[in-house]
Amino acid sequence: MMEKSVRRKEKERMRHGAKISKAVLWGSLGILGFLTLYPVFFLLASSLMGNDELAKYLGPVIAGKEGFVDVPLLPQYPTLRHYVEIFLDSPEFFVMFWNSTKITVGVLAGQLVVGTMAAWGFAKHDFPGKKGCFLIYMILMLMPFQVLMLSDYLVLDRLKLTDSLWGIILPGAFSTFPVFIMYRFFTEIPDSLIESAKLDGAREWQLFVYLALPVGSSGVIASLVLGFLEYWSLIEQPMTFLKDKSLYPLSIFLPDITNVGKSGMTFAASVVTFLPAVLVFLGGQDYLEQGIMAGAVKE
Amino acid sequence: MKKTYQLIKARRSKITASRKSFQGFLWILPSFLGVMAFYLLPYADVVRRSFFGAVDNQCKGLENYRTVLENTAFLLAVKNTLRFTLCCIPALILTALLCAVIIYRSKYGGVIKSAFLIPMALPAVSVALMWRLLFHSQGMVNHWLSRFSASGTDWMNDESAFWILVGSYLWKNLGYDIVLWMAGLSGISENIYEAARVDGAGEWQCFFKITLPNLRSSFYTITVLSFLNSFKVFREAYLVAGDYPHESIYMMQHLFNNWFRSFSFDKMAAAAVLESLVLLLLILLFQRALERRNDGKEC
Amino acid sequence: MNHKRIKQITAILLLAFLICATLAGCGKEGQEGTSGAAGQNTNGTKTEAINTENGGKESAMGRFLEEEIDTGIVFGTIYDMKKLEDGTLRIIGSNGDDGSKGAWDSKDQGASWEKAYDFPTELQDSDQGYSDRAALSSDGQAVCAYNQIQKGGGILAVLYLLDQNGKASRIPFELPSVNTEGAMSNSFEVTAEDLPDEEPENQAEEDSQEMGASISNLIMDIQFLGNDQVLAKDISDNVYQISTADGSLRQTYQFDGSMESHQVYAAGKKILVFSNKEVLLFDSETGQQISTEETLQKGAAESGFFQAVDTINQGESVYGVARGGLYHYKFGGSVMEQLIDGSMNSMGAPSFYPIVMAMLDEQNFLVAANDENSDSPTGIALLKYTYSADTPAKPDKELKVYSLYDNREMRQSITRFQKDHTDVYVNYQAAMSEENAVNVSDALKTLTTEIMAGKGPDLLILDGMPVETYIEKGILKDLSSMISKEGGYFENILHAYQNQQGQICAAPARFMLPMAQGGSADYKPGEAFDSFTSRKGVLAGMEPKYVIEKFWYTCGAAWQKEDKTLDVAKITEFLTSLKNAYGEYDANANQQGMSVSFTSDGNTGNTEEIKKILFSYGDFDLAFGRTKVNIGLFAKMDYGMLSAVNNKLKDGSYGLMPGQAENVFVPSMILGISSKSNQPETAEQFLRYLFSHESQKISQSGGLPVEKEAFRSVIDGHQYQGKENLVCVGGSGDDIDEILDYAMVSTPEEEIKKLTDLAESVDTPALRDDVIKDAVSEQGEKVLKGEITPEEAADAIMQKVNIYLAE
Repeated sequence: MMEKSVRRKEKERMRHGAKISKAVLWGSLGILGFLTLYPVFFLLASSLMGNDELAKYLGPVIAGKEGFVDVPLLPQYPTLRHYVEIFLDSPEFFVMFWNSTKITVGVLAGQLVVGTMAAWGFAKHDFPGKKGCFLIYMILMLMPFQVLMLSDYLVLDRLKLTDSLWGIILPGAFSTFPVFIMYRFFTEIPDSLIESAKLDGAREWQLFVYLALPVGSSGVIASLVLGFLEYWSLIEQPMTFLKDKSLYPLSIFLPDITNVGKSGMTFAASVVTFLPAVLVFLGGQDYLEQGIMAGAVKE
Repeated sequence: MKKTYQLIKARRSKITASRKSFQGFLWILPSFLGVMAFYLLPYADVVRRSFFGAVDNQCKGLENYRTVLENTAFLLAVKNTLRFTLCCIPALILTALLCAVIIYRSKYGGVIKSAFLIPMALPAVSVALMWRLLFHSQGMVNHWLSRFSASGTDWMNDESAFWILVGSYLWKNLGYDIVLWMAGLSGISENIYEAARVDGAGEWQCFFKITLPNLRSSFYTITVLSFLNSFKVFREAYLVAGDYPHESIYMMQHLFNNWFRSFSFDKMAAAAVLESLVLLLLILLFQRALERRNDGKEC
Repeated sequence: MNHKRIKQITAILLLAFLICATLAGCGKEGQEGTSGAAGQNTNGTKTEAINTENGGKESAMGRFLEEEIDTGIVFGTIYDMKKLEDGTLRIIGSNGDDGSKGAWDSKDQGASWEKAYDFPTELQDSDQGYSDRAALSSDGQAVCAYNQIQKGGGILAVLYLLDQNGKASRIPFELPSVNTEGAMSNSFEVTAEDLPDEEPENQAEEDSQEMGASISNLIMDIQFLGNDQVLAKDISDNVYQISTADGSLRQTYQFDGSMESHQVYAAGKKILVFSNKEVLLFDSETGQQISTEETLQKGAAESGFFQAVDTINQGESVYGVARGGLYHYKFGGSVMEQLIDGSMNSMGAPSFYPIVMAMLDEQNFLVAANDENSDSPTGIALLKYTYSADTPAKPDKELKVYSLYDNREMRQSITRFQKDHTDVYVNYQAAMSEENAVNVSDALKTLTTEIMAGKGPDLLILDGMPVETYIEKGILKDLSSMISKEGGYFENILHAYQNQQGQICAAPARFMLPMAQGGSADYKPGEAFDSFTSRKGVLAGMEPKYVIEKFWYTCGAAWQKEDKTLDVAKITEFLTSLKNAYGEYDANANQQGMSVSFTSDGNTGNTEEIKKILFSYGDFDLAFGRTKVNIGLFAKMDYGMLSAVNNKLKDGSYGLMPGQAENVFVPSMILGISSKSNQPETAEQFLRYLFSHESQKISQSGGLPVEKEAFRSVIDGHQYQGKENLVCVGGSGDDIDEILDYAMVSTPEEEIKKLTDLAESVDTPALRDDVIKDAVSEQGEKVLKGEITPEEAADAIMQKVNIYLAE
């Protein structure tokens, strides 16, 4: 309620601001927005085109024909064939979808338990070497995967985790990224709150469960949303650690685009992969906003 | 205003009273064990390898480091990575801030924000596919250019590849950063603005005197996250241009990748250690700089 | 407040959606999970899974062993084979020596065979007609489909019933006529007696043309149903159920287009129709379709197309041979059981085509197959499979073989090697052959990880790996002690990768020669690169990409300077010369002109890409004037074609392909043993086998053998000796007059010598570095298409390659 009234006031003030510059700003924002979304429209449109139509439009790039690629944003003869193909005719697609779900849910569940605890520890507890420890966490977070690839593999191999989804899930669950995100959040919980809870006789774990998690829920959700995006489109790890093709997740499902007959399926698969991510993202957006930053105290 | 500062101060001071120093560590322990197994141990292995021969396991002392530092491919990769980071992170942060400030005051903010967020959810494979269709020498961009009778180029095979990569990074992460900035903005109390306006401050003054300083702690997180995400463009670059792209987008990960494939673990490990040292240095400097600023402000 | 509530609800809904999706996925997993895994019969992972299933405990015992039976009779064709009610095994077929048809019996489970009867003269091949299908019933009768050549030239399909002693009587049945148009597939070749399973459709086509608008029909498949009825399939895939006694038509079964290629088998009173995708069941008494049991349907979908089927227990137990091995299904059963894993014997070999199988009992059965790599001169092999209870279900030693692209010679050799070494299971994995779009780089990364973790392959075919780097890094073991020192090999080729210390860490088991062919105005054997490319337009009409790639082989070796960097001047010269020789690029002409000519060996190896740079790929375009010369890698000798093209060109000749480097050969099937191999002895044993004459003489166009005797046997065309095999080949282009007549003949002695001399003279291995090659062909293609200048391209190449070399 409060917010709304503030906004209204805000608007009134804006009214005698420069209207033209506002229009310019909005115009350019609009263009930027369209450009941003263009690839998404493109994918959607292409996934609805028949193979012949696609072959005609994409010919120059995928089949080395003369001329230019030109894909209109509306299919001439829309068809759902590629989706049918994916959902009905390719059982491996389901297997991959299921693998992706397993990986993502597994990793997120792990992060939810281990990551929040660590973040809580870093945020509100003191112990020797904490700073150094956190620094290590940050550096590990920033390390490109390729660097640790071989050594990671050797460790996983020793633990008999290669060629199993656990080999992807466990390292993901212990990723330091969510710790970093949630740490920022937990530090924002006022100490006074904790102190008063303590005075009421709350124990350590009760503080965590009944105070930190609920108060920090949007931060936790924000980190989960980011984690979802990350692990839903994981490429390098499954490629390296999984040998059995039946364990592959959706993100590496890429039918050969150069195969003209299959390019439609590629587009459709892209859309199907994209949808859950978008839903999660849009749903979790507000938490992202509130959660990640917690830049200052809200009123 | 006073109230806010007090709160900030309260947050900064740690609750150290009556807490056993190792109890805090218990919270971190589960995560730490996992990090130990899946990240630190492999990392230690990498450090060890940086002093040994690739396959034969003979100690070579610092020779690997010398070879790496003399390696022209390494130098090129370092140069490109630096250039890329220096170009796109400031660009991204500034554009995002600009958009965030504009959008923040709009009632359609939510919708626009979501539009900008969507690219992040697109799987890398689909993005790469798009890029190929757009920037191929017979691709769509050249098609549009040819309509305006401008001649196109083979985008991925000359200097423009670098800018495409920068663009791709901006495109993917703009929404994310906008959300982050907006969260930061929402944390600034309206009262401050009200007070300032009463004092006769204009829009610009408000922005520079109130908005920017209050976004400082957001700035830290945003920079780290943007930096982290800047590594991820490699996926697209790799999927579009392969192992040996145009020299302007030959990044560290390309080099790591190629070294990996040709069993050059010695060089790879040495380069990785160097990279983590640089990362460490950067993080420390950055933290120090921020802290100093904050302190200065607070005093 | 309200706003917030909405958001919370959204979040909850999303969460619910996710959970639902997860659960739904879970439910599905039970079914899909298995079929997903089983979809890949050819690769190693699947077989492993099966093995662990079979041998859940450490050393489960019992496995079917395969042996090839030396029948003493050379079969030209086998139509059918059956265990009769009295226990006799009977084969009906033709004698490969003289083509005469008859039946043979074996009283000792297939070990020895004697003639039961000859077909009566009226059923032997003659001017009046020929019989081309036959089937046996379990009481020893036979039915034979005889194609009577009519006076006007047409063909009438007639059925004859032969009793137990070969006395023939005509079944009064007239095959319903079918309009041949549309039913005829477009096939390009007609051979007389060359291929045993050749289907004489073209003859029929010609005949029907002669008969004007007349209509005819043929029997494409024939089977007994019980002892008194037969099932005959015609060219439009209708199946007729006919009584043998009076020729009356009992039932007709018709299928729609989706069941296009199918096989029909009788199982008791049921009729089984197998297609690529599904199994249909019919009741022969009512003619009605009955629903297929789900287990059977699913099992058949997983096992692949059944090429041969037999039943026991009145058709209640069905056994079938597919690419993946032998499968067993009992009606009403809960599983389709895999009894034999095809990858452990001939069944999985690419050249193995089962014709018919006969169950002796549950533990013994025979398979007659068409296998061009069998010991039999006609390629018709009779194999016996016996269950051996004291052989471990899974061989105790596993040898891992790795290559990027599928190598058919390797598959063949593995089959044969395993037959002699039942304790070794060779797990061959071709990384790029599977459906997943893994690129070479990712595949090699995985390989690297596995080698470093000590789980890598024992033996590698280096078909795209950076050989030099692997040698340099010590990944490969020194093979010099394993490679025979005594002559008999083309040592110039065998030792291509010998280093200064005399170590040979990688050795090509095969090689290809870059060859060219053309009329004297366009090509002279032994010509220098400069003079060849000075003729403008000599390479016109070819696909730019492959032109570059082919010349890369003959030129690349000359580019490397002593410090391992590349010579820009040479690359520029290379591109300039080729651009000159290529002339202007005409995109339209190129798109229509390049017909897909069929290569002279029907089953060309590795991948489409590799096929296109082979010499045998371009002979058609040369013969019909679409190109002026034919260039490419020569991997298999087809002298008939070679000389036919030469004749067609009037003054054509062939020789080594011109190039900046001279005397180049392209090492192929480069073998190396991993220095981290867990099975070094077995790997060595197998490597020796791969270099042995027996393995070397296997030829599937993956390259010419380095062993001289095998080299000769591959190029001399001995299989055509003493036979007259006239072949007429038509292009698949729009012009139907494009027909090339040629004879499949053995190679004349002087040509053998010429090729052998060439093979002995080549001493420069082509540069096999895929990074450089890809950079060159990518840029070179643009040069030929006229998009960029040779200088620009050379710069672009150098830029990429310099980074690569600097690494």
